[in-house]
Amino acid sequence: MTTIFLFALLVSALSAASAASNYHESLNLQPFPPSSLLASFNFKSNTTQTSFEKQHFQYFPRALGQILQHANTRELHLRFTTGRWDSESWGSRPWDGAKEGGTGVELWAWIDAQDDETAFAKWITLTQSLSGLFCASLNFIDSTRTTRPVASFEPAGDHIGSENLHLLHGTLPGEVVCTENLTPFLKLLPCKGKAGVASLLDGHKLFDAAWQSMSIDVRPVCAGTDCLVQIDQTVDIVLDIDRSKRSRANPIPRPVPGDKLDCDTSKPYHARDTCYPQENPGEKAWSITELFGRSISGSCPLADSQGSDGTVCLRIAPEREVRPSPESVETRSSDEFTRCFTPPPSTAFDLAVSEHKIQSTVPLDEPVLYAERTIVGHGQERGGMRIIFDNPSSSKAVDFIYFETLPWFLRPYIHTLQATITGLDGVRRQVRTSEIIKETFYRPGIDRERGTQLELGLSVPPGSRVTLNYDFEKAILRYTEYPPDANRGFNVAPAVIKVSSPEAGRPIYLRTTSLLLPLPTPDFSMPYNVIILTSTVIALTFGSIFNLLVRRFVTAEEASALRAQTLKGRLGGKIVALRDKVRGKSSKVE
Amino acid sequence: MPVDRRKAAVFGGALALRLLLLILFPSLPDLLTGRVEVSTPVTSFKRLQEGLFLYNRNVSPYDGGVFHQAPLLLPIFSLLPDAQEYPLPTALFYSLVDLLNANALVTISDSAQAVSGRLYSSIRKGIKWDGSVVAAWFLFNPFTIATCLGRSTGVFTSTGILYALSAAVQGQTLNSMLALGLASHLSIYPALLFIPLVLLCYDRQAERTGTTPSTALFVVKHLAVFLSSIAGLLGISLLIIGDFSTLLSATYGFQLLVPDLTPNIGLWWYFFIEIFDSFRDFFLGVFWLHLTAYAGSLTVRLRRQPLFVVTSLLGIFAVFKPYPSISDASLYFSLLPLYRHYFPLMRYTFFSVSALLYASLLGPAFYHLWIYAGSGNANFFYAITLVWSLGLSLTIADTIFAALRDEWEQENPDKRGKTVKQV
Repeated sequence: MTTIFLFALLVSALSAASAASNYHESLNLQPFPPSSLLASFNFKSNTTQTSFEKQHFQYFPRALGQILQHANTRELHLRFTTGRWDSESWGSRPWDGAKEGGTGVELWAWIDAQDDETAFAKWITLTQSLSGLFCASLNFIDSTRTTRPVASFEPAGDHIGSENLHLLHGTLPGEVVCTENLTPFLKLLPCKGKAGVASLLDGHKLFDAAWQSMSIDVRPVCAGTDCLVQIDQTVDIVLDIDRSKRSRANPIPRPVPGDKLDCDTSKPYHARDTCYPQENPGEKAWSITELFGRSISGSCPLADSQGSDGTVCLRIAPEREVRPSPESVETRSSDEFTRCFTPPPSTAFDLAVSEHKIQSTVPLDEPVLYAERTIVGHGQERGGMRIIFDNPSSSKAVDFIYFETLPWFLRPYIHTLQATITGLDGVRRQVRTSEIIKETFYRPGIDRERGTQLELGLSVPPGSRVTLNYDFEKAILRYTEYPPDANRGFNVAPAVIKVSSPEAGRPIYLRTTSLLLPLPTPDFSMPYNVIILTSTVIALTFGSIFNLLVRRFVTAEEASALRAQTLKGRLGGKIVALRDKVRGKSSKVE
Repeated sequence: MPVDRRKAAVFGGALALRLLLLILFPSLPDLLTGRVEVSTPVTSFKRLQEGLFLYNRNVSPYDGGVFHQAPLLLPIFSLLPDAQEYPLPTALFYSLVDLLNANALVTISDSAQAVSGRLYSSIRKGIKWDGSVVAAWFLFNPFTIATCLGRSTGVFTSTGILYALSAAVQGQTLNSMLALGLASHLSIYPALLFIPLVLLCYDRQAERTGTTPSTALFVVKHLAVFLSSIAGLLGISLLIIGDFSTLLSATYGFQLLVPDLTPNIGLWWYFFIEIFDSFRDFFLGVFWLHLTAYAGSLTVRLRRQPLFVVTSLLGIFAVFKPYPSISDASLYFSLLPLYRHYFPLMRYTFFSVSALLYASLLGPAFYHLWIYAGSGNANFFYAITLVWSLGLSLTIADTIFAALRDEWEQENPDKRGKTVKQV
């Protein structure tokens, strides 16, 4: 439901935007019982292709536009994500996962170039420039972290007349997304985050969320021959309502006093010192000011709000009471759960939602697929990867593309790939991989050159759980190749799952969590000792063997006779004689 | 014939022991395949299977970081059934290869080249083990059994080397060069055995025909055979794998430049983990130069005993080659019993045997402490590899001493048994 709602919003925004340069922004709020809230910010601006090429930027950010032109990039997707989307309690992902990235930074782009080498050179230009623009370590996306996915991504824009498009994809799973990435992100907006819904975005709150994802998509949109370049920025966060409300009055978490606990008084053992927590405490009251620490400062004057219901939309049970600031306009959508508000142009806007004892809830969409990926095994020498796919539907099989990139120091053994399936009857059995895997694209990694790329076309039967397993070996690196925190382990990028759904038209994306891979480590403290000890062993062997080879044998008597004849032997004899003389004298004196 | 019956008993017993171990402990082959002492990046059976998997699906196995073995192995192993499902045929195949190696050893031993050749005949030639004892030392050596069950592809190199030797002592000089060509193609280092081996061939031919043909011409002719056998094998490889430059850089380039630093019992891996980046290429050159330095000098000094030079060189390779495993050590230990008559002349037998036993018992324990238990670090295993290398090189130096002493006593019969010094 959320997805259809968001998609409808997207389509309406698109149709409104197709004329010429304009800018549109929106905020959708949806509480997840008992105490989470999804806030989806969306900012979209257009510019015509001709003015983009002439470097006439009105709403489109100039800094980004020039980078894209310099790097011949036709379409760009950049994601900054932290946290894990809990699909068990939050349902399916916002925007069908299309505006989400794996943990850390993920970047993919279609680059117009003659051949693969030029495309890669342009890609490096792009990552270096974006690295500067977004204060992120994107410049670390080198050849070992770059892949060219075959089936997992499709261009989202209309590319007319550009035939030599190259898709390149890079991830930085270890990147910590923080305020320094948010600031340049807000600078790209026409109102720079000073007015409109973007004024709510504050690093302290955003990066305190249970899950957050920032995305930037640039793509050409064409209607006939007139084309627009569209930039679509979104920020999705899942806030913990209790945690966000707490930080104002009482920043340090303390235990709740006994008389303030929410107890189930119907229990027979309920007493002054015994408390059984309420099973369904209901949803708490909240307001925008409480959650974000500030109110929306008016609306961005550049935003074009025609053709949409309102800027701030709330998806909430119909009987729940909502108190918006005065002067705002409320629109109820035909769908009974959605209410939208248009904030007043120049005054602050707040929204308060009442407490709600559960009577009716907004239904959550069930994801089409649950996916989980873990490293199994112990020891620092080898391990195994286990990927579990769960198809919740009891009637339909799910077809999808599974895409993963592995760093070169993780060496997978694809011949050990095995599949087990747990069907509706709950019995686990081994199956031939060809029954589950319809197609495979595998590009093995090369040491220090490129990572492994694996794309599998899979099909999971209805109501089943499929488990894939394969073994891998962990390489040992040169000691300069380890990071300073070598024993923490190395991050492995999340896997991307693309579910093609014929109904929605657009594919649904899922991402697993990133993994931590511990590698065997050498002793970092003693390179000199190792060099010395190894060289000693070599020198000992070399010395003893060549000593045997170059010298000749003589008997012990011959040896002493020979020694007496040499200069050294004669000198030694003289010294002995002298010593005896001196000794003899000194003894005489005594 | 009594001798043949003994040989049959040794061979049958060895085969039975291998199959019994496989049946009693079905997980043993996979355990041994995973051990760093048995499988190196260039001989690992698991890597071979990965290469085979890619090869059977028409993906180039060399376009990746896992498979670095000779392409000849791919068609051979694709004939065998999948080792994961049917382990018995592969185990049987490896056991038969072991028996072939033992057979070659019996031939070498029976030729008595170790005790008396064309130019040199030991004064202790009475002290000698016969072929079946030598074969038993090889077949019942725990290192050989572990290598066989661990299905290391290093045994094929051993086969090439042993057949080169057995053909040489029988006077089949061309066969010898072809076998050495195969061994050098599989793993590059046996090419260093060319000089002593061609001298062995020359001595045998001179002995048989009673003439002494021109040495230079003989060497050049055999070098041509050797090189063309390698070229022929490369040609076959080219037919199997289309891309020649990838093939060369993934096999020979890999063995020469040592990019994979997986732990093994040798000295290279930890040194090249710890070496500073700017010195890496220099020390790579130094290590290779050091390895090649022995071939020429040993041949010059021990010209009269080319078979002994080959034996000592194999020992040196087992210590100093980039990716050594216990398979290389077992090859050296299989040739040592041919020199039973030198054992009385060796000085540090107890010490070197103790060092080797100490290292082979503590090595797996220290590796476990480092990788699995986490209570030790890399230095534990590194220290054991140092002890192992010292023990082996002590043995090698000691046998060389014994050989030189034996030569000296033969030249000076009056000084036999006296204390000697080297000047």
